[in-house]
Amino acid sequence: MKADKTIAKAWIKAQGRASRSSTSFVVILGLLSTLLGLMQAWALARTLASILTSHPGNAPPAIGLFLIVSVARTGLSVIQDVMASTSSLIARRRLRSDILARIIGEGPALLRRQHSSVIASTLVDRVEALDGYFARWLPASALWLVSQWIVVAAVFWQNHKAGIILAICCATLPVFQAVFGIATAVASRRQFLAMTRLQTRFLDRVKGIATIVLSGGTERETQALAKSADDLRIRTMKVLRIAFIASATTDVAMVAALVLIVITQSHSLTNSTPELTLTRALYAILLVPEAFASFRALSAAYQDRAHATAAAEAMHALEPIPNERAVMGAIATDAAHSLSITAKDLSFAWNQERGPVIHNVSFTLPAGETLILEGPSGSGKSTLLELLLGFVAPSEGRIFLGGQDMANMTPRQISSQISWIGQKPVLFAGTIRENILFAKPDASEPELDAAISAAAMDRYLPLLPAGLETRIGEGGFGLSGGQAQRIAIARAFLKNAPILLLDEPTSHLDPATEAEILDSLHRLTQGRTVVLCTHSAQARQFHGRHLVLNRGRAISYTEEAA
Amino acid sequence: MSASLQSEHPKNGTALSRIIQIWKPHYGRLITGGIIAELAVCSGLLLMGQAGSRIAAAAVGVAAGSALLQIAGSSQIVLRYLERLYTHDAMFRALSDLRVWFYRRLAQGAAAGLGFQRSGDLLSRLVSDVQTLDSLYLRILIPLAAAVLTLPVATIVWLKAGTLPGLITGALFAILAFALPMMAARLSRKFGPDILHAESDLRVAALDLASGLREARAFGAEDVLANVVTQRQDVLFAAQRRQSLRMALTNGLAGLIAKAGVAVMLCAVAGVIFHQSAPVAGIAALFVAITALDAVTGLSRAGLLYGQVSHAADRIMDVAERGSQVQEGTSPLPARHDIRIENVTFRWTPERAPVFQDLTLTLREGERAALIGPSGAGKSSLAALLLKVAAPEKGEILLGGTNIAALQNDALRSRVAWLSQSSHLFDDTIRDNLLLGRTNISEDALWAALEQAKIADTVRTLPDGLDTWIGESGSKLSGGQGRRIALARVLLSDAPVLILDEPATGLDADTEKAFLETLNNVGEGRSVLLIAHRLTGVERLDRIWRFENGHVVSSAG
Repeated sequence: MKADKTIAKAWIKAQGRASRSSTSFVVILGLLSTLLGLMQAWALARTLASILTSHPGNAPPAIGLFLIVSVARTGLSVIQDVMASTSSLIARRRLRSDILARIIGEGPALLRRQHSSVIASTLVDRVEALDGYFARWLPASALWLVSQWIVVAAVFWQNHKAGIILAICCATLPVFQAVFGIATAVASRRQFLAMTRLQTRFLDRVKGIATIVLSGGTERETQALAKSADDLRIRTMKVLRIAFIASATTDVAMVAALVLIVITQSHSLTNSTPELTLTRALYAILLVPEAFASFRALSAAYQDRAHATAAAEAMHALEPIPNERAVMGAIATDAAHSLSITAKDLSFAWNQERGPVIHNVSFTLPAGETLILEGPSGSGKSTLLELLLGFVAPSEGRIFLGGQDMANMTPRQISSQISWIGQKPVLFAGTIRENILFAKPDASEPELDAAISAAAMDRYLPLLPAGLETRIGEGGFGLSGGQAQRIAIARAFLKNAPILLLDEPTSHLDPATEAEILDSLHRLTQGRTVVLCTHSAQARQFHGRHLVLNRGRAISYTEEAA
Repeated sequence: MSASLQSEHPKNGTALSRIIQIWKPHYGRLITGGIIAELAVCSGLLLMGQAGSRIAAAAVGVAAGSALLQIAGSSQIVLRYLERLYTHDAMFRALSDLRVWFYRRLAQGAAAGLGFQRSGDLLSRLVSDVQTLDSLYLRILIPLAAAVLTLPVATIVWLKAGTLPGLITGALFAILAFALPMMAARLSRKFGPDILHAESDLRVAALDLASGLREARAFGAEDVLANVVTQRQDVLFAAQRRQSLRMALTNGLAGLIAKAGVAVMLCAVAGVIFHQSAPVAGIAALFVAITALDAVTGLSRAGLLYGQVSHAADRIMDVAERGSQVQEGTSPLPARHDIRIENVTFRWTPERAPVFQDLTLTLREGERAALIGPSGAGKSSLAALLLKVAAPEKGEILLGGTNIAALQNDALRSRVAWLSQSSHLFDDTIRDNLLLGRTNISEDALWAALEQAKIADTVRTLPDGLDTWIGESGSKLSGGQGRRIALARVLLSDAPVLILDEPATGLDADTEKAFLETLNNVGEGRSVLLIAHRLTGVERLDRIWRFENGHVVSSAG
């Protein structure tokens, strides 16, 4: 917990540094705006003093100055707003490309640790939530102290007595914050946890609403929900009360400064006070709200800081960007050059505590032959396939593709040699054409047609609303398991890689569909080096070597094709 | 917000006003909050007005006490604190009522069907929509109400500095507090969806990338997916850039108008353009103008929130008011539990092809049957029909001879229990997952159900036993263990009819077999309908129906 907090702090600091150049531009504009604020107050004070001391001739130029400065200040604040959001855009763009690189760098192994929706929300929502942090909190936290004390110094320069009062009131702010701040931090972290738990509960109950309704528990759950919603309110209010007290202390400091300055200044005024003295008194009064404005902006952005901590924790759950592996000479990538696969003494553990899931597995598969992987679930078949795919690197041992050590190949070189079909293909939001071309974006139209008919997709394409251009995936047309699997097969035909890895490709299909799919797969395996992982009796029609795994060990290995 | 806005967008006006109607029990608090807010604004005006007039009075040699100034100052602090506390509390009370109301509507209405169709993302968006509505009261209604009440008070003070300048400043205040925010609201209503769509497109691209990491690596196509994410991000950022420019300009315009108001007062005090006012009254009016105009400058920004809030309200109302497709009945529960489906035709929506056409099946009491059909053929709709989550277009479903349309929903569901791969496991303890709020079940009954589901031994070995927290969707359990907990929950219900809707899908082959074997023994004495895309051979069945293209094509047994 403590270590996590240090990491979060370091990360947040690094974020601040990375956006320093764009933030500092916003801060400089903010300082300019404070200086214009001083001129504005001076122009106002001068107008009033000239009237009160019956020198109305001095008023019009001062009013003119006030107008000019006001327009300039408004223009400045427009630029400041736009710059702040631009600097947030730049920061979020940088952060997102960093997260993207980390996700892609870790690759499929990440899916073993995190649900895809968590990964997606780290990439989208976590980053978007930092808008306020980059646009408001960073500039406000750099600006507030400087801006506040510029105003205090300006008041002191013109009016010592008022300057000292203002300085004392401003100096109490950090003291108040310290007194309430420590207590709030402790209280609110606890409250914050309880709050998130209750919010999660509501979401969870809504997601499971069918289960509740169908078990006849609607009324009971509604009552429980009403109770916890009320609990949420009470807890939220506890946190807010402390936050409000903290901001009330700002009010106390400001009002005290205002009242004290008015009273002390008006005591020293008479109807024969010179114009300049009166100007200085009014100047001090008018600047009181200005002195506290920057601190208010900071308090308003405090929640944005909390988002940064949450994002830091999500980022910490991702691996750092890996170094590219040494690039070796390219190897031929077409099916004409079949490749052999050799595994030597492979061992692998997902984590040290749970121990290895693959123990000393070795096999040799000559080019163009098939290896059938068997074994009960949890015996390490899928892990072995992930090792062959290069999704994870073996803890010990080596894998050779066509005689070349995989440890010396880049992920891209490995994937260029391999086609893979899993239990359920992931279909992306887009047309069927885009989903197939994914395997080879520069494929020609005849190549695409050939892949489609080889995968027997032309049997169902005409039945779809827009054929090959039908939109599928999120928000699109739903395909059956068999139809989806045919897209995966078409992808593999299109890619035409020398090695084919099949991970229980028919386990989610009904028997009739399974037979048809196996038929297409059989065609796909011709002339390729194949590793097939299967449970199905029908898949026994594939001939090849057999490797049986149990608890991560090879318990039988037949080199004879059977 | 205002009459003209409502007439232009009648649909959203009604959605928002209906939400405000739901808050009726809280009107007292909500209005009191508004009054405190107004008092806080007035004390702020008094404070600045007093500060100005006191200095002015001293300068022209009139003595004035400081009591009023001190009172204004301290009441300003207290009132602002109270305002924040009270309005937030009132808002959260209203919001928690809204949540409960929304939940009840979801449960009654088509939402049970929504949950059935597993659109979890839609539901979680709705939850955050409810959250968004706090802006409506705190950031739009309260400041707006305060502005409405401030206008006459402040105008009276301003009129003392001269009729014409007073009226002009009042008019500028009205523009700042009402006209400009309304313009901003209209803008946000128009452009708000841009950002929402861009955001959801980006989310889809990110989800594609995350769930397709294996495909991406296997095909060396990481760049393709990453580029889509980057492109969608550019679209979103362009929309955000436009939005922030609009915001900055609106704010700038508001700032200029506020300063113009101050300048008018200044001219009146100085006797430039206007007749010169009495100095003390004029300076007090000037200070009031500075404070009052400054306080409503932020309303234009709140106007830009309006689009977001009203879209959230639209979506909530859209789901909540989607009436239930099934009617409540009143007939008493029949004594027997034979199920007869007679000539049933059903489709989820009128524009889609029917899932069933003239389907006729009989499941006798105590019988075990399976309905087998290809994936995605809509077999699960049968469970929805039997549980009255959906109603058939044609034909009827009888339980023990009574049409289920005539039965009370909850009564029917106490007779027919449902277990599926989408049976939800709650982020709660095992005990609470089993009980689902029921209090009339003994500890022994819980353990008996766990025994039957063959999970009791596992639960016993857990350090916290029944009180073990199982995580989001049972993430701390293995897939098979989670399914067994869900099974134990169904067994607790004593329902004589069990619908097992693809109960083992998603489990690996061995776990699936073991789970199905457990199911063979738990149904003793109950009718069981198994819905699946294939049989593994371990199921004990009296009867098998094969289902294809909306028809039963063969039956065996």
